[in-house]
Amino acid sequence: MSDSPVSRLLATARGDAVDDPFRVTGVMMQYYYVCERELWFESRNVEIDRENPSVARGTRVDDSSYGERTRENLRLGMISLDLLEDDRVIEVKPSSTLTEPARMQLSYYLWYLDRVLGVRREGVLAHPTERRREEVRLTPERREKVESAIRGIHGIVTADSPPEATEKPYCESCAYRDFCWV
Amino acid sequence: MDKNYHIFSDGRIERSEDTVRLETEDGEKKHIPVEHAEAVYLHGQVNYNTRLMSFLNDHGVAVHVFGWNDRYAGSLMPERGQTSGRTVVEQVRAYDDPEHRQRIASAFVRGSIHNMRTNVTYYDSREYELDGVLDDLDAAATRVGDAEDISQLMGVEASARRAYYRTFDAVLPDSFSFDRREYNPPPNPVNALISFGNSLVYANCVSAIRATALDPAVSYLHEPGERRYSLSLDIADLFKPVLADRLLFRLVNRKQISRDDFREELDSCLLDEGGRETFLKEFEETLERTVEHPELNRKVSYQYLLRLEAYKLKKHLLTGESYDPFRRWW
Ligand code: SF4
Repeated sequence: MSDSPVSRLLATARGDAVDDPFRVTGVMMQYYYVCERELWFESRNVEIDRENPSVARGTRVDDSSYGERTRENLRLGMISLDLLEDDRVIEVKPSSTLTEPARMQLSYYLWYLDRVLGVRREGVLAHPTERRREEVRLTPERREKVESAIRGIHGIVTADSPPEATEKPYCESCAYRDFCWV
Repeated sequence: MDKNYHIFSDGRIERSEDTVRLETEDGEKKHIPVEHAEAVYLHGQVNYNTRLMSFLNDHGVAVHVFGWNDRYAGSLMPERGQTSGRTVVEQVRAYDDPEHRQRIASAFVRGSIHNMRTNVTYYDSREYELDGVLDDLDAAATRVGDAEDISQLMGVEASARRAYYRTFDAVLPDSFSFDRREYNPPPNPVNALISFGNSLVYANCVSAIRATALDPAVSYLHEPGERRYSLSLDIADLFKPVLADRLLFRLVNRKQISRDDFREELDSCLLDEGGRETFLKEFEETLERTVEHPELNRKVSYQYLLRLEAYKLKKHLLTGESYDPFRRWW
């Protein structure tokens, strides 16, 4: 068996005995596209106090910010699906900003279902507030994109230091802001 | 940021529905809105019970106790919301690596000297001649990098602080002569004011550290165990000139505090209740004062600077990114 991040992830997901388990959650996939530094923090459980109002304005991609929506939350190993509807995986997002990260998160779910559990599904990205739905399919290009993201994530979370901070529009509302920039 | 509440009078403090109620000995009642409280400071003889403690614990409010002679006596810390094994492991690892410990400790000393220096420059540019002090501070600053171990570093810090304290005699009126720093008990008003100010800075650092997952007992410049929260000693040194000393000069020079505000006993001198109230009122106002933060692009309170310092240290320990000590920049 090759020791590439992808096969290590698959081995971990299938419960094989691996020396160095490697997990990727949907949120990690999203962070990879939003901010690599935040991904590193998350993977290391770097917590900063969220009780403080000046920093608690919200992790924008964190589930907790979408409080009210009802969801089934189907946990399948490393991933947790919002809901399944007519056999399709529905991922609910409050707004269509940061669409690509959400699309990749959903693509990762489809990839995971396929590769780990052997089920092929299609996905729908739903923005209820905007009454918009977008279909997401695991095309060969997306499949490759997911796998290259997995390799990228592996590189980041195994590094000793996080990637340097670079100013992004969402730093403003990021929970790590005061931690990152001082 | 949440507020500190100071209680001077003797009496009892208890949970009353969803607030904290203080009843003083002469029957006066006051409420402390717990959801906006960072910490409660007890300066008088105050009774409380376990029901109050668990209530404050639930709300994450610390209690800092000032005992006899208004010396800091200890804190009742809420069970920490933040715990992170990795943070503590890295914190200890850095302590255990002499070279790494030295680097962090040197940063604290550099920052402290810088902040003492800004106070001296401030007064030097006025009517006081403080060139000598500035020279001594600069000399100490250049010796920081040469110190071979923590005790030498401590020596450098001590000589800087000695030079710095000469400012006090120069700036303060003759009726407040200082001579030299003495702690237990403070022999004259200036020592009493320094002790009181320092203990307030220290207690506020304890609160700031609590908000991170750092272990307050693992420190770098000071020896862990020197006090229960020795990391607070490290961080407090950076902030004393900014939060406490400048205030002391102002209060004395503007005669808001006079010799009548002290109780002098055989060999000790202490602020009386009125004096402490004056000092604290101004101290709390200082904490709430804000300054534009160059990296965060917004105003932050002086109190929040303490919190940021704890974040910076934590970030250094977890990421290996450099730790730059707080240096007054304004
Ligand atoms: S503040 Fe900006 S750079 Fe730092 S983790 Fe958040 S988004 Fe990333």
